[in-house]
Amino acid sequence: MVISKKSKVIKYGLTYGILGISLIFTLFPFYWMVKSSLTINKEMYLPRPQLIPTTITFDHYISLFKETQFMRNMYNSLYIATITTVVCLVISILGSYALTRLRFPLRKFLGQSIIVSYLLPTAVLFIPMYVAVSALGFNDNKNGLLIIYPTFVVPYCCYMLNSYFKAVPYSLEEAAMIDGCNRFMSMVKVVLPIAAPGIAVVATFAFTMCWNEYLYALIMTTSPLQQTVTVGISSFKFSDHAIWGLIMSASVIASLPVVILYVLAQSWLISGHADGGVK
Amino acid sequence: MFFKIDKNSIVQTDKIVGILFIIPAAIVIFGIMGIPFLRAVYLSFTDKVVGRPEEFIGLQNYITLFKDMTYWKVVKNTIIYTTGGVGVKLILGMILALVLNQRFVGRGFFRTVLLLPWALPGMVAAMTWRWMYDSTYGIINSILLSLNIIEMPIPWLSLPSITLYTVMVVNIWRGVPFFLFSLLGGLQTIDGQMYEAAYVDGAGAIRQFFAITLPSIGNILKITTLLSLIWTFNDFENVFLVTGGGPLYSSSVISTYTYDLALIQNSFGASLAAAVSVVPLLIMIIFLSAKAKAN
Repeated sequence: MVISKKSKVIKYGLTYGILGISLIFTLFPFYWMVKSSLTINKEMYLPRPQLIPTTITFDHYISLFKETQFMRNMYNSLYIATITTVVCLVISILGSYALTRLRFPLRKFLGQSIIVSYLLPTAVLFIPMYVAVSALGFNDNKNGLLIIYPTFVVPYCCYMLNSYFKAVPYSLEEAAMIDGCNRFMSMVKVVLPIAAPGIAVVATFAFTMCWNEYLYALIMTTSPLQQTVTVGISSFKFSDHAIWGLIMSASVIASLPVVILYVLAQSWLISGHADGGVK
Repeated sequence: MFFKIDKNSIVQTDKIVGILFIIPAAIVIFGIMGIPFLRAVYLSFTDKVVGRPEEFIGLQNYITLFKDMTYWKVVKNTIIYTTGGVGVKLILGMILALVLNQRFVGRGFFRTVLLLPWALPGMVAAMTWRWMYDSTYGIINSILLSLNIIEMPIPWLSLPSITLYTVMVVNIWRGVPFFLFSLLGGLQTIDGQMYEAAYVDGAGAIRQFFAITLPSIGNILKITTLLSLIWTFNDFENVFLVTGGGPLYSSSVISTYTYDLALIQNSFGASLAAAVSVVPLLIMIIFLSAKAKAN
C-alpha cells in the first residue's frame, strides 16, 4: 500500500495530538491527587493554588495512620473484597459450567434470570436489602456486605464466564470422560485450565467491584471500625468541611491496590474482555 | 473397539449435577435479590417509614410523586446523565480505540496510562474532581483564570444550570477507558486484509469505517454500551460526593434522589415508588439502544 508522505505526516500529527490531549485530561486528576496529598495546609488553602508545590510534606500521611482508623478501613475492604471474590468465583464457575455444558430443567429460564437480575437498578434494591440484612442482625456490621455483594458480582461473573466456557471445545471434555473422568473432574481438569486467563480477568473485575463499592457500604456501616475504605475516606470531615490533605493521601493509598492490579493484568484485560464480547 | 458410554445415564447424571451446580447461583439471584426486589415493589405501595410497620396505601406514593416537579426534574436529569454520558463515552472511546489500534512509537505506554481512570475507585475519582472543582481553592478555576479564559471563578458545584454537566464530566472521565479497551479488543480481531481490499476498491477512510470496522465490532459495541448504560444509570457516589445532587436537585439523579427520600427524609415507601417508577425507563433505554445498534 502506498501512502503519500504528506498524509503520513498529517496522520501522525493527528495521532499524537489526540493522544497528547487525552493524556493530560487523563493524568491531571492523578497528579493533583498526589500533589495535594503532599502539600502543606498553608499552601493548599490559597485562593490561587500553584501547579507545582514549593515544599513537600508527609504530614498528611503521618496523621492518616496515627489519627484515623484508615488501616482498619483498608483491612475491612481487603477482607470483604477477598472473601466475596473467592466465594462468587466458586458460585459462578459452577453456575456457568452448568448453564453452558449441562442439560437440566429450567436451564434457559435460570440463564435469563441471571442476565435480567443484573439489570435491576441499585436504587430499587438498596432499601429492601438494608432492611433484610439489618433484620438478620448485621446492623452496622461489615459482614452484612458479604451477603449483599454477591448480588452484583455473581451475575456479572456468570455473564462473563459463560462466554469463556462456551469457547472451550466440547470434544475435549468428551475425550476426558471416555478416559474415565466424571463431570466434576472433567470441569476441573479440562475446562478450567483452558479458561484460566478468562477466570483471572473475571477475578480482577470482581475484586475491583467490591473494593470500589460505595453505596451499600455507606448504608450498612456507620462506625469507623466497620467501615470499608471508600466510606472511611469520604467521612474525613471536620464539622462539614472536608479535610483535603487527609482525603487525598488516603485516596492515593486506597487506589494503589486496584491500580497495580490493573496495570499487571492489563494485557489479559484487553484480550479477555474482547473474548467475552465476541461470543 | 471403542469403549461404549451409556448415553441415558450421562443425561441423567447431567441433570442432577446441573441442578446441584446452579443452586448456589440461584439462591443469590432469587433469594438475596429476587425477594428484596418483590418486597421493594410491595413497599412502594405502602407508607413504610423507618422503625414502623407499613400500611398499604395503594397508588398514593406514585400520585404524590407524579405531581412533584422535583421528581420530573430528577427523571430528566437521569435521562441526560445516562444517555448523554454513555454517548460521549462511546464516541471518545471509539476515537481513542481507533488511534491506539495503529502502530506507532509509545503505543504500549499510552495503552497503560489511558486505562488508569477506570481502575480508580469511583469515590476517589469523585473526591479528587470535587477538590479540583472547588470554587475558592480549586485548580480548575485557577488555571482558567491564569489563561484568561474566564474573568471570575466559576461556581462549578453550586450554579444550578451547570452542576449536572459538572458531575457528568467526572463520570465520563472515569468511563471512557472501558469503551476504549473493549473496542480496542474488538478492533484487534479484524483482519487487516479487508482494509487492503477496500483500499484497492477505492473506499476512503470514512467508508471503510462504516463498511468494515463498525459491522465487525457491532457485537462488542452492543455489550459494552449495555454494560455502560447499567453502570451509569446506577452511578451513585459520583453525584452524591461531587455535588450531593444539589443545589435544589439540579444535579440529582434517581439513585441520589431515592437515597435522599429514604435516608434523609426517612420515607421508604416514597423512595421505593420513585425507584420502581424508573425501571420501565431503564428497560426502554436498553431496548432502544439495542434496537439502534441492530439498524
